[in-house]
Amino acid sequence: MRGGKLEPMTEHKEQHAEQSAPPAIDAQHLVKRYKTKTAVDGISLQVAAGETFGILGTNGAGKTTVVEMIAGLRKPTEGSVRILGLDPFTDRAKVRQILGVQLQQAYLHGSLTARELVNLYRSFYPDPLDAEKALAMVELTDKARTKFDNLSGGQMQRLSIALALIGRPQVVILDELTTGLDPKARRRVWGTIESLAEQTVILVSHAMDEVERLCNRVALIDAGRIIAQGTPDQLKQQAGTSTLEDAFVALTGREIHDDEEDD
Amino acid sequence: MTSTAVQARRPGLNAWLKLIEAEAKMVIRDYAGLIVPLGLPMLILVMQGIMIDDIHQELAEGVTVFSYYALPVVISMVVSTIAVINMPSFLATYRKTKLLRRLAVTPASPAMVLVAQMVVSFIQVILGIGLAFAMAMIFFGASLPQSLFTAAAVLLACCAAMYGLGMIVASIAPTPNSSVAIGLVAFFGIAALGGMFGPAENLPDALQTLGSWLPFGAAVEAFQSAWLGEAVDAQNWLVLGGSAVIGAGVAAALFRWE
Repeated sequence: MRGGKLEPMTEHKEQHAEQSAPPAIDAQHLVKRYKTKTAVDGISLQVAAGETFGILGTNGAGKTTVVEMIAGLRKPTEGSVRILGLDPFTDRAKVRQILGVQLQQAYLHGSLTARELVNLYRSFYPDPLDAEKALAMVELTDKARTKFDNLSGGQMQRLSIALALIGRPQVVILDELTTGLDPKARRRVWGTIESLAEQTVILVSHAMDEVERLCNRVALIDAGRIIAQGTPDQLKQQAGTSTLEDAFVALTGREIHDDEEDD
Repeated sequence: MTSTAVQARRPGLNAWLKLIEAEAKMVIRDYAGLIVPLGLPMLILVMQGIMIDDIHQELAEGVTVFSYYALPVVISMVVSTIAVINMPSFLATYRKTKLLRRLAVTPASPAMVLVAQMVVSFIQVILGIGLAFAMAMIFFGASLPQSLFTAAAVLLACCAAMYGLGMIVASIAPTPNSSVAIGLVAFFGIAALGGMFGPAENLPDALQTLGSWLPFGAAVEAFQSAWLGEAVDAQNWLVLGGSAVIGAGVAAALFRWE
């Protein structure tokens, strides 16, 4: 569970309260078809305000396509998305201010230093985080004068997270948060995400331990469809397994591997 | 929170300045992107000085052979190397690395990067022309155009035409490497026919005519008119304006941010 701090009763109350409030993210019947392939086939999901929602699936399952449609980067063939009541395509300018996105394998201006990049992205928002605090939040203060091209993979990832959070977004999308990071770097990144107490977070991942640790609820996606949805405990219970990984295998009939990343 | 609680705000002046600063740093820290468009024209300037006979002979009062032939070529070179080779390669790199996609999920738009790139490259153009003029005046006794106003108007038209061509390169090039390759071929093609390697008058008639209908040749002829203080031929304006319009049209149809 996210942070692992909530008592069961409190958690239950929180979920009940969330169910009665309008969802922060409401995706209905999303379909994405290409010429010869249907990448996403009728996915619906609702994420409550303050919730961390995991999207879990194998390579090519359609995870990234789903979040790209939610972020307004890819227009759905069918279906609709609302983020805090706003359409990411028709209300683009408004959505960009409340949404923070960390894209899978996205590059930044390589010759700029970490601090220069933070200051550049700060300038896009009306009330951004302080630059030094943003760097400290992802433990990059000592790398502030290092060019992006010279950062390690983990440092690049942490800087990307800082930039996703720099505009104080209410909704955050994190795509393959820790892919390629060593265990120490992964734990640092997890710590950053656990500190996001107020934001609604969608976390795309194929890492079971990450999803189990960070997410309140999880959707298992396979071949463009949601196979199962619920809390990690509910999914394990539903599959009759003791681990989320076993539940995933039992529910989808597929193995999931750490080297998978792109959708 | 409801949809009415969020106000749509476009990035302000500070964001524009930061983005222009970022693009400038990218250009400055990428030495090739700075040295080629500034250094190559100066080398060509010196080569023209060596090749052209009687460089101090006056074609009209105060207009030397060197000023008339070399400086229009060098100015057109500065603009075209930046607009046709440099700018498309930056855009192709940004597209390949998904940098533009990253910006698309912020309040800034990828179009802001394009504008910032153009602002920075225009500053490069002014810097390159300044350096070339300084060298030409100090070492070759060159003179300024008789009509500075006409020269300024031709410079703007030349920039529009070359950026149009550059946007065509950026639109059709699938990778950064292919962008440089296509840009170089386009640049040397129009420049060779426009007088970069010697006066266009020395070309066979058919090639000379072809060159005058291409933006480099048209720019050189238009600048030469400015140097003599004469009106620019309508064909030159037509070619420069047409190149800009065609480039914008092709870019609108084919350019992809990702």
